[in-house]
Amino acid sequence: MDERAGTPWLRYLAMGAVSLVMLYPLIWLVGATFKSNAEIFTEIGFIPSRISFEAYAKGWKTSTEYTFATYFLNSFLITLPRIVVTVISCVLVAYAFARFEFFAKKTLFAVMVGTMMLPLIVLRLPQYLMFREVGMLDSYWPLILPSAFATDTFFVFMLVQFLRGIPRDMEEAAMIDGCNAIQMLWHIIVPLLKPAIISVIVFQFIWTMNDFMGPLIYLASVEKYPVSLALKMSIGATEEVEWANVIAISVVALIPSVAVFFAAQKHFIEGATSSGIKG
Amino acid sequence: MAAVSLSKVEKTYPNGFKAVHGVDLQVRDGEFMVFVGPSGCAKSTLLRMIAGLESISGGELRIGDRVVNELPPKARGIAMVFQNYALYPHMKVYDNLAFGLKLAGTAKAELDQRVRHAAQLLEMEHLLDRYPKQLSGGQAQRVAVGRAIVKQPEVFLFDEPLSNLDAKLRAAMRVRLTELHRTLKEQGKPATVIYVTHDQTEAMTMGERICVLKEGVIQQVDTPVALYQRPANAFVAGFIGSPEMNLVPAELADGAVRVGGQVLPLRRAVSLHLGKVTFGLRPEHIGAVARPDAVPMQATLKFVEHMGSEVYVHADMGGLAMSARVPAEQATALESAERGSSITLYGLIEHAHLFDAETGVVLG
Amino acid sequence: MYENRRLGFLFVLPFVLGVLLFKLFPFVMSFALSFTEYDVMDPPQYVGLQNYRELALEDPLFRQSLGVTLWFALLAVPARVGFALFVAHVLNARMRGINFFRSAFYLPSILGGSIATAVLWRFLFAKNGLVNGVLVQLGFEPVAWLADEHYSMWTIVLLFMWQFGSAMVIFLAALQNVPTSLYEAAEIDGASRWQQFWRITVPLITPVIFFNLIMQMVHAFQEFNAPYMVTEGGPLSSTYVLALYIYDQSFRYFNLGYGAALSWVLFAIVAGLAAFSFWSQKYWVFYAGEKEKSK
Repeated sequence: MDERAGTPWLRYLAMGAVSLVMLYPLIWLVGATFKSNAEIFTEIGFIPSRISFEAYAKGWKTSTEYTFATYFLNSFLITLPRIVVTVISCVLVAYAFARFEFFAKKTLFAVMVGTMMLPLIVLRLPQYLMFREVGMLDSYWPLILPSAFATDTFFVFMLVQFLRGIPRDMEEAAMIDGCNAIQMLWHIIVPLLKPAIISVIVFQFIWTMNDFMGPLIYLASVEKYPVSLALKMSIGATEEVEWANVIAISVVALIPSVAVFFAAQKHFIEGATSSGIKG
Repeated sequence: MAAVSLSKVEKTYPNGFKAVHGVDLQVRDGEFMVFVGPSGCAKSTLLRMIAGLESISGGELRIGDRVVNELPPKARGIAMVFQNYALYPHMKVYDNLAFGLKLAGTAKAELDQRVRHAAQLLEMEHLLDRYPKQLSGGQAQRVAVGRAIVKQPEVFLFDEPLSNLDAKLRAAMRVRLTELHRTLKEQGKPATVIYVTHDQTEAMTMGERICVLKEGVIQQVDTPVALYQRPANAFVAGFIGSPEMNLVPAELADGAVRVGGQVLPLRRAVSLHLGKVTFGLRPEHIGAVARPDAVPMQATLKFVEHMGSEVYVHADMGGLAMSARVPAEQATALESAERGSSITLYGLIEHAHLFDAETGVVLG
Repeated sequence: MYENRRLGFLFVLPFVLGVLLFKLFPFVMSFALSFTEYDVMDPPQYVGLQNYRELALEDPLFRQSLGVTLWFALLAVPARVGFALFVAHVLNARMRGINFFRSAFYLPSILGGSIATAVLWRFLFAKNGLVNGVLVQLGFEPVAWLADEHYSMWTIVLLFMWQFGSAMVIFLAALQNVPTSLYEAAEIDGASRWQQFWRITVPLITPVIFFNLIMQMVHAFQEFNAPYMVTEGGPLSSTYVLALYIYDQSFRYFNLGYGAALSWVLFAIVAGLAAFSFWSQKYWVFYAGEKEKSK
């Protein structure tokens, strides 16, 4: 932390300027959702001349046979189970790497770090063929199943780093108190991992809600589309877009992620930094 | 309440390093035994081997009548107090104390009674609803001790529990722990305690017997007084006692010892063979005033440390560093003496210790 | 308990299965497929090196796509990493409201990867979108961001840069690990703020810079959402990155063998660049000694 006095006003100026550039588009877009289509293209100020929720209503209904209620539900049907299996599998695996000794531990850890850097693209096609073989296309299985096997190695890595920073004293005390592995995990490890687990939940929520390529490849029926695909549909193939509606619904699509982010704010940045470069 | 017996216990790490070399030790039922030694002497390792947190490479460990080498910690009937307290941060003090009992399926009524009894013994009933982060260091340590008491183990293991406390608190806790041991004995529930520390003051004041370790080998096991008066080797002699005993090279001649360029008459030397020895004399056995049983020693004054009621005199005797612990009244002359001036110290020569110059083993 | 190797392996089993099933096996399958011609209907046909020969010698679109991807990475990665470092440095101060700013800067990152943002970006840079609106207000000519092949790349580079939050957070953590006493010593030695940044801060965080460069490079090469949604690879394939090409070949035209070959070329490039970076780090990455882990 750079605590020197320096020139704070210069810093504030820099931060303010950058924040403005960063956030103004978003602010403007939120304002735009209340404007009429014509006004959007003429006004660069973000305060609408009159507030109208028309864009939201129309956007929600979409031009398909389903409303965004369906699409949001689908997104949650993918996201929530995925979060559950991610947390369970990643905690188990991270616990193993951080504490236990086992066959080929070093190799497996190297594999884990290596796959973090592996371009996903290479695996997309074969995974698609595999899921096709077992008849799981056009379902949510391909989107949830891999996470049940701790394949989100970024999270495993983050949890391992976090756990490595926790001294073993309490676990030794618990061993003397009579804990077996499962009790240790439940009573001691998981409570200690809480901040990191919250980060995992938040990250996975946001990434899954935003996941586009996955649903694009695996889902065929419109009724199963999550929000990300539905948004794509609203753009359509042409330039003639009902921008007011599209922007409105895009803003709504962002709300869950923003909400979750602010809800776990404190843990969020802590979790990301503790996974960082500290030893 | 059980005896602990170690028989040729040793430990070798996977990389080949042998940390513990064939330790034989009997800890009596209800005894307060202290393991003491410099860092790296394997005292903590040995304790953790007894606890079951480290594996035993060879030899036999018994708690009570059972051989426990292969048993996990929870089956050995031990309880441990850690240097860093190791309290569960997300549980209240009450739950910290109760955790082990809950896992064992103890009935609620008995659990509650045992927790409260331990809290009462340690005067911390008012802390039961707090979380560890709301406790001071001393309070946290008491909870750690309480957690051990609650389990009513056969053996209590302490791993440098007072190292993280400031000096004053350490002194207070020392007294509290010693009294606790006595109270339990009076209540008819004597506790076998193995206590690890690097602080020889703690060892001397708390232990009924002390086991001095160096590099994984037991140097001597004896009562504090015996260790002080009759150290078995030069290492123990130098380790026990504060300030340290003066240990210097010397030579035995007929009825005398030649040290620091002087010849000091020593009755004992008559019966021992001649040759090089290590000569040991405690600072408290060197004075600044002549006495019939003291032998004059010429030295050059280096500097003087004032400790209030005492003065530590650091001098050079024929190239050898010697220090003396002198009551303040006797030191007035020395205080005004100049650095480098010649002074005479008076050593209680019959309290001197002689050790073999090579092995360090005590002679005679 | 922790020496129980069987128990340890049991806990790590999900990962072992996951790696075998979802990473290793597909990895090998992808390699095998790249030597075949496969359109899902009929079984795959072995064609040797034909796919690779084709993309190397007979496919101008591949060359275009490769060039676009490299150009994108070259622009976007330093932009994102550099900007993240700058912002992290500015945010590395104990001042009032600092947490607000940190959240403010992190927020776009979270939203950035979403389709919603891509949609919004598409609107922002439309002919009559907000960006042009501001430009006109400032007296400039509007730019055909999305329609002109000279400007389209900048829109997706900018979007990539807008999501600098993760890199920034990692930099922030690293900056906070630099002891203030070093700056104080430098100040006594007479170094200016500028000099302190370049001669103390940057050298000490080179491992983190290295880490971020690698991670962002891997991300940049795989970037799909932005080119797909904002520019749709155009205009005139000016933003037709390899990820898009691979997707089209694999999932639109079902030339699965060719798609696999393409993805392997991409993988080889990324792996090569990563290997080069790892080799080159001995020249410019400074590790300040292993930190002792506490017991």
